[in-house]
Amino acid sequence: MDRFYVNIIHRPELSPEYAEKVTQQGKKNDISSAELIGESLDVFKTQQRLAHENGLKTTIQMTYASMFNDEAIEEAKKDHEKYGDEIGLSLLGLPCKQFREKYKTKDFCIWMFSKEDKKSIVDDVFSLFKEKFGFYPHSTSSYFLDAFTINYIKEKYPSVVTAVAACWEEGPKAYHTCNNSWYTFLDGGPWAPWIPSKKNSHCPASSKEDDSGIVAIPHLSRDLLACYDGNGSNFGTHPQNVVRGMIYDEDGELPYLYNLIDQYRHLGKYNNGFSYNMMFVGPGWMNKAGRWEAPYSLLYKSYDDAMKYYGELKKEGKLIDLTMEELSTIYREAHPDYQTPERALWKDILYGSNKEIFWYADPYLRACLDFNQGGAMIDLRPYVARLDYPVGIGTDHPYDASYPYLIQANYRAGYFTHYAGAGTLKSARISYGKEVVDLALERTMAKIEVSEKGDTVVKIDPVTLSYSDGEVKLASTITFEKGTGKVYFRREILENPSNLELNVEEYFVGGFGTTEYQADMRGIKMSVENDMEKKVIPFEYRCREIRLDKALCVKATIPQVSTVVEIGGENDYGEFEEGHAFSPSYRLSLFKKLRKGVSETWLNLKKAD
Amino acid sequence: MAQSKKGRLNYRCPNCFKRDIDMDMFFDEAKNEYYCLRCCFVGDEATVLAMNEDIKKKYKRMASRVVSFGEDDGPIVYKPHRKGER
Repeated sequence: MDRFYVNIIHRPELSPEYAEKVTQQGKKNDISSAELIGESLDVFKTQQRLAHENGLKTTIQMTYASMFNDEAIEEAKKDHEKYGDEIGLSLLGLPCKQFREKYKTKDFCIWMFSKEDKKSIVDDVFSLFKEKFGFYPHSTSSYFLDAFTINYIKEKYPSVVTAVAACWEEGPKAYHTCNNSWYTFLDGGPWAPWIPSKKNSHCPASSKEDDSGIVAIPHLSRDLLACYDGNGSNFGTHPQNVVRGMIYDEDGELPYLYNLIDQYRHLGKYNNGFSYNMMFVGPGWMNKAGRWEAPYSLLYKSYDDAMKYYGELKKEGKLIDLTMEELSTIYREAHPDYQTPERALWKDILYGSNKEIFWYADPYLRACLDFNQGGAMIDLRPYVARLDYPVGIGTDHPYDASYPYLIQANYRAGYFTHYAGAGTLKSARISYGKEVVDLALERTMAKIEVSEKGDTVVKIDPVTLSYSDGEVKLASTITFEKGTGKVYFRREILENPSNLELNVEEYFVGGFGTTEYQADMRGIKMSVENDMEKKVIPFEYRCREIRLDKALCVKATIPQVSTVVEIGGENDYGEFEEGHAFSPSYRLSLFKKLRKGVSETWLNLKKAD
Repeated sequence: MAQSKKGRLNYRCPNCFKRDIDMDMFFDEAKNEYYCLRCCFVGDEATVLAMNEDIKKKYKRMASRVVSFGEDDGPIVYKPHRKGER
C-alpha cells in the first residue's frame, strides 16, 4: 500500500541570520530589536495557524533565541497540548544577543564551529531546552549536521531520534546564486530520509554497527532535476522558494508546487510504497515587508495554498502527517535491513521537455543516470569509502561539507567539452570503422524494475545508431546490485541488418572533488591487469595510454577520496588514459568487437586501503 | 548626489537572475532607475517587470497541472491549471 508521509516543521527563529544586513532604509538591522522579534514570532504563529486550520500537525523546532522568549515557549506548549505538535530543538537560529555575548562570534552554522565549540553549543542549547520544557528533545535540525555533531548529540542526548541533516545538492550552485556569499557546501547526500553512517553523515548506514542512531531528513524535498542544474533554492517544497524562482502566474498561482509534491508522492512506486515530503520554512521567508519583488500577500498566499493542498490530500486519505519523532519509527520499520536502496525515477515537470533521470542511493554509492543522454551516469559518489571528512574550524574543511564526487557531469563538463579533453561521465561509445556514436547523444527513457533478490534493474528503451553503411538497434540495461556497490552494464544488439562490425567501448571518465575545480591529481594510481601482467603508473598529467589484452580490470586508486574505482567484464582489451593539465581526469575503458549479441561489463567501487 | 537606496520593493537584477544569480538592485532617485552593482543593467520598474515576465517563459509548464506521471518511459499527462484549484 502506498504511504505518503509528511513532516511540517516550523521554527520560531526570532533573530534570523539573514535579517542581519543593511536594511531597505540604509540602516543596520538590530537582531535584538523588539520589532524584529515580534514580527518573526507573528510569522511563526501564522505558519502554525495555517497548518492547524488544514488539520495538519507540526514539529516545532525551538531555536536558542526563542528559548529566551516566554511568549514563544508558551505558544509551543499550547500547540503541543492542543494539536499534538512535537516540540523539538533546532540548532538553526543560534544568533541572538545572548549567543553573541557568550561565544563572541558571528558564525551561526553548527557544522562550521570547532569541535570544542560544537560540544559546548550543543550542551548549552540542550540544557536550556531541558530547563524550559522539562525534558530533552526527540528531534533536532540544521542545514547540515556532520557525523561528529550527530555522534556527540546521540551520545549525550540519546532521546534524539530524528534530525534535519542536509539540504539536497546545496553547494556551489547555491553559492553562485547568492553572489558567492552563501557558504553552504553540502552536496552529495540523499534526497529522501536516510539513516546516517557514524563515519560520514552523507552516507546511509550499512549495518547496525554503522548506524548513528538517528533518522536524517533532508531540508526540503527538492526537484531532483531542476535543482541538479539550477539554483536549489528555487525548486523545492518551500513555497517561498518557488516564489523566489518566479514560478507563478499573474494570480500568484503555483501549480508547479503541487506537481512537485505529486511527483514525490509518485516515488512510492519505486520504494515499496514509501514516499516522503517535508516543509521547513523559516519566518524570514514570510517577511511582512515582502521578499525581493514578492509582496507579503503573495508570500502568505503561497504558504496558505501549500497547507491547503497537504490538508486536502490528508482528507482524501492520501497523506499521513507525522511529527519528526514519529517518522523515525515509521522509517525504520519500512527500512529494516540497511540495504534497501532509495530510488527515484524523476521527470521534468517545469521546462516542458521529456527529460528523465534516475537517482539511486544505497550505503555504497549514490548515482544518477540521465536518459536524455542514453542512460549515461552523470553523478557518482563513493559512499563505500565512508570518508573521514571532519568539517568546521580547526579541520581541513572549515565550511565545505560536501561529499566528494567521482563524476559530476555539470561541474565537470560531462559529454560536452570545448576542447580536446574529457568531462566526467560513464557511458559507452559504439564505433563502426572511424564512425563513432556515443550513447550520451541518444535521447531515450527507461523503466525501473526490482529483481527477486532486490537488485534495481534499469531497462533503457532501445536506441538506433546510424552509420554510413546501415543502422543498428541497441538496448542497454543497467543493474545496481543490492548490498554490494557493484553496477552492471549490459549492451545488447537487437538488430544489425547490415552485419556491421562494431567496436563497443565502455568508458568511465572520472575526477574527484566537491566543486567545479579539480584539485591536484598527483597521488592517483592507474592500472590495468590481465592473467599475465599488471601495468601501473602514477598520475603525472602526461597523457599516457596503456592497454592490455583480455583485461581482468582497469582501475584508478584515488587516495584523496580513499576510493578505488574499477571496471571489468567481457573485453578484447582494457585501457587507461592519463589526463593532462587542460583536461584533468582519468579514463578507464574496455573494448569489445561485436556484430550481434551482448556486451556485459561492471563498475565497482571499493574503499582504498 | 546622495547615496543610492533600495526601492519600494526589493527588485533583483533581471539580467543576473537570468544567469541564476540573485542580485539585489539599488535605486537611483535622480535618474529614476534601478541599477545592478554587478552587471550593467539599468532600467525603470516597468522594464524590470517586463524582463521578469520574459524570464518566466523558460518555465513552459508553469501553468500546467500534472494529471498522471504516465508509464515510466512515457510522457507526463498535463491539463491547464485553473485559478483556485489545487
